[in-house]
Amino acid sequence: MRPSGALFARSVWKGPHIVPLPIVRPKAGERAPPVKTQARAATILPNFVGLIFQVHNGKNYTDVRITEDMVGHKLGEFAATRKRFSYKHTKNK
Amino acid sequence: MVFIFGTPFPESQLVSKALRSFYGLGPQACTKLMARFHIHDTARVGALAEKQINNLAGELSEMTLENDARRQLQDNIKRLRDMGTYRGRRHAMGLPVRGQRTRTQIMNARKFNRVERRG
Repeated sequence: MRPSGALFARSVWKGPHIVPLPIVRPKAGERAPPVKTQARAATILPNFVGLIFQVHNGKNYTDVRITEDMVGHKLGEFAATRKRFSYKHTKNK
Repeated sequence: MVFIFGTPFPESQLVSKALRSFYGLGPQACTKLMARFHIHDTARVGALAEKQINNLAGELSEMTLENDARRQLQDNIKRLRDMGTYRGRRHAMGLPVRGQRTRTQIMNARKFNRVERRG
């Protein structure tokens, strides 16, 4: 898992990594449907704020609600790919 | 004893060492500061003129040093943690943040990586 896009500095001339995502602007009074995506490397843009993304973590999709702080980070940073180790007692030796 | 920015330093101490004893002021900022006020690398604190000390103090008061710098660091980590990023979570777990191996050699991460980092 890449820890952070900010750490692996990207050339300025390339601009942010923009992925075409199926974002639907809801009409007034309606709620935006969550955006289901596997593009973990997509940079969070200012127009994502307030939306809910379902980001793939390799197994299933975790819900991420985008806040203003998250702009500039990658979607994948907010969906953990690792499971905490838990010891399971073996019955049969 | 010479007072720079309210802190006493022995006169025989190097100016660079005295400046770097402030938290948040490293070798780079130190060389920049000393170059600006025409202080030689090997100059001792006792050799500083009154005007140079005042200039240094004035410049230091505008920088984020000591507890302000520590608070800034803690705020940055706390922001990552509150957002729920991978980096914030690694800080909270006391594990390496930047993808290092964890099988061996994570003494420094154990020591430093925490949400309430001491600096």
